[in-house]
Amino acid sequence: MEWNIHTLEELEDKIWRCTACGNCKAAYNYGPPPEFGEICPAGVEFGFEGFMASKGKIAFARGILDGQLEWNDELLDAIYKCTVCAGCQNQCELDHKPFIPEIIEAMRRKAVQDGVGPMPSQKKISQSMRSYNNPYQGPRRVRTDWTRPFKKAKKPIKDINKEPADILYYVGCTGAFNLPARGVPVATASIFQKLGLDFGILGENEICCGSTAMRIGDAEEFKRVAELNLETFRKLHEERGVNTIVTSCAGCYRAIKKDYVLSSDYDKLMDGITVIHTVDLLNKLFKEGKLKFSGELPWKVTYHDPCHTGRHMTKFEIDEDGAKLWKGAYVGMNQEDCLYDVPREMLQAIPGVEFVEMERIRDNSYCCGGGGGCMTGYGDWAAKNAGRRIEEGMKTGAQHMVSICPFCHYNLNEGSKRIGSSMKLYDLVELLDQVIPEPDKT
Amino acid sequence: MLAKREDMVLDELVSIVGKDNATAAKHIRYAYSYDLTFVKPKLPDYVVMATTVEEIQGIMRLANREKIPVVPYTAGSNIGGLTIPERGGILLDLKRMNKIIRIDTESHYAVIEPGVSHAQLAMELYKHNLRWSWPVGPPTGSVSSNILCHGIGGLSGRYGLASEEMTGMEVVLPTGELIRVGSCAIREDAWHSLLPLPQLDGLFKGWLGSTGVVTKMGTRVHPIPPILKVFTVSTHNIEDMTSYMVNLSNYEICDDLTAVSWWLSQVPIPYPYRPKPDGVPEWYCFGATYSWTEKEKEAREEIWQHVLDEEKKKGSSIEYAEYPEEALKARTQLPSRIVGSTKNYTKMAGGGISWPGTFTPAKKWPEVYNKWKEILIDHNLSPATRATNYRGVHYGMLRAMIPFNKQSPEETENARHAIVECLKVDLDAGGIPYKPPVDFAIEINKRAHPGYLSLLKRVKQMLDPNDIMNPGKLGI
Repeated sequence: MEWNIHTLEELEDKIWRCTACGNCKAAYNYGPPPEFGEICPAGVEFGFEGFMASKGKIAFARGILDGQLEWNDELLDAIYKCTVCAGCQNQCELDHKPFIPEIIEAMRRKAVQDGVGPMPSQKKISQSMRSYNNPYQGPRRVRTDWTRPFKKAKKPIKDINKEPADILYYVGCTGAFNLPARGVPVATASIFQKLGLDFGILGENEICCGSTAMRIGDAEEFKRVAELNLETFRKLHEERGVNTIVTSCAGCYRAIKKDYVLSSDYDKLMDGITVIHTVDLLNKLFKEGKLKFSGELPWKVTYHDPCHTGRHMTKFEIDEDGAKLWKGAYVGMNQEDCLYDVPREMLQAIPGVEFVEMERIRDNSYCCGGGGGCMTGYGDWAAKNAGRRIEEGMKTGAQHMVSICPFCHYNLNEGSKRIGSSMKLYDLVELLDQVIPEPDKT
Repeated sequence: MLAKREDMVLDELVSIVGKDNATAAKHIRYAYSYDLTFVKPKLPDYVVMATTVEEIQGIMRLANREKIPVVPYTAGSNIGGLTIPERGGILLDLKRMNKIIRIDTESHYAVIEPGVSHAQLAMELYKHNLRWSWPVGPPTGSVSSNILCHGIGGLSGRYGLASEEMTGMEVVLPTGELIRVGSCAIREDAWHSLLPLPQLDGLFKGWLGSTGVVTKMGTRVHPIPPILKVFTVSTHNIEDMTSYMVNLSNYEICDDLTAVSWWLSQVPIPYPYRPKPDGVPEWYCFGATYSWTEKEKEAREEIWQHVLDEEKKKGSSIEYAEYPEEALKARTQLPSRIVGSTKNYTKMAGGGISWPGTFTPAKKWPEVYNKWKEILIDHNLSPATRATNYRGVHYGMLRAMIPFNKQSPEETENARHAIVECLKVDLDAGGIPYKPPVDFAIEINKRAHPGYLSLLKRVKQMLDPNDIMNPGKLGI
């Protein structure tokens, strides 16, 4: 299987298309009314221009390529102190815009290739991936611990290795191994069962999607698990009748929908298979009248857009051969795959929920701080940044914050604890599970 | 010995601002070594982020004692290489001093710190239906730096340069002393006016950060009338456009009266040079005017129609024109990401942008532009030129935005050469460059009255006896 994953050198032309205008450093819409907000977690925390948005990261890339900057601990630290949230990408208007997260990750790939990356605390991610096929150093058998309540309630979840099912619920490592985030797969499976969906899980045979490895520059490890997964998906399609892969994890969603596409065999292996986020699937069922609510949830909530279900899913049009504008021109972008409206529609459909927006939302959402390997590499800063986001949520008067990513789930709850807030982060499926009745109670 | 001195300086900087805010790490310094322009990259020796006036005073005292250059920095988005250190030293990053200290909705002024961005101020002022002269620059650019360097903005046709709107300043001198100019010098919380006191603000405005570090600044703000009308015309030559703009500016009805050549009206500017299609007008003008009532708007329209009729009677090629929507939006809704991101400037070229940016009498615009056009086309560059009237008078900004491929040293040098040649033409016609890179400063000084240069040096010596503030930028 061939992979179209660029090296830093291959991105040099894009790197030089940055003017250093600094537009990327803050979110801004001229309205009216004009809206302004900080957008770069690393810039907010560390301040120096090198840390600031894509302008700073491009400077590092330039410096590495022109030989001005050589690897040392401080440079590495600065390159890895980025959540790769793509907030800066959303502000940029230049030709390198579509490649900004890739340029940052290409620097990390170069660091790994040169034997200096990732950061020491992140190396255990790679080691764990190789030993356990997940980044949490979790033994295989632990992967299904979250299913115990279902077994106990005599509602076992189908093992797709043994039985056919239309839907593969791809749980993801965070939901399976990260204790505080386990509510996400539990609620997801509960909802699926209540709706009578024909779904199954890979259980102990599920392996990591590779997102974290890719984000920290370990392309080889990413490719290894991605290839295994693609082959598994094909096999499940052919032998178990799987037509849809559903995930509640924003990281997995981004990886399968966007990173796996870089494989030369993607179209062949994924032919006939749809990849969809849980909330998107539920929204479709809701619109078809197949999902109904009972009771009320009298909560005042706000919504946090995860980077990986939001702006990371933006598609960019590039004039590759110069036929439209000029060679390599950034032509425009398409946000149809970005899950902005879907979760908001579902939240507002829940009886009793009062929904309020934060200032920085949708494609200008402020990253929780957990992405890009930062939750592992820089846990304290990640939680501190999450605390900032929680403070923004608290300003709305909401009791709780809702999102659709187990990483955000964990990190924002850590942030809330850190600042002593009573605000909790819930996954949207956790709310939905409370108001979707058992079939006999509809 | 040198290494020991460097360690000592860094230790002292750390003791002033804390270990997280001072560094000599090369990768951090590297990110401050270049900007959008053709100015050659140069590294500072240290980068320091200050958050208080006291910290800045401490840094300046240290720098003055050790005779270390200091380059004040807010966003680095000027188009003159003004924050690229000519002689190394301390890069003083002020972005974290970003408080809007006051918006006085009665007296119509705002007091800001140097790190306040255009986007930040625009949002806060709008809550009070107020505005200021928003510049054609990135939303993240610094309001105070633009004011300090005689920037222009969306209200320059009505109120003049941004610097003419300044109402006061607090400045740390190169020696570390704290001073104030304007009414705030007499009463601490009075930031309404520079006048009628002696205008000591002139010691800092237009000096390219070479006489002190501004820590607070007052600027006038103005109500936003609800009705926008933009008068758009085209002509086939600069002569007809100049005649129209001079005529219309007599009536002082426009907040902004700007003309752009065909090449600048394209998004992006064609790079390399591309001939304008036959029969297409060469110049396009927009006059942005705001009114409080429909009747006021109609009166303005009547004046504009009268001017248009007069120009036509002269045999002008002037016509009413539809201005491209995106470009018009970019020009009337500032600060603009479209213009500010340099999308329309550099996108096609690859990362570089510089200009011969000048203040030139309107009567000289045709002569200068026609020569610029020859020079630029000869260098395979588009004559993407803008002309803007200031405050109803007949001088204004004439500049050509020159994109270039920064990755190529040859193309960068080609652009630099063409721009400096253009600048010489303008200087010889009586124009003056603003936010000038060192190449320009040298050309200015060649032509300057000896008394002017002598006074400049004496003032600089008085304020900055050890020549530590952004040294080398003035070319003296």
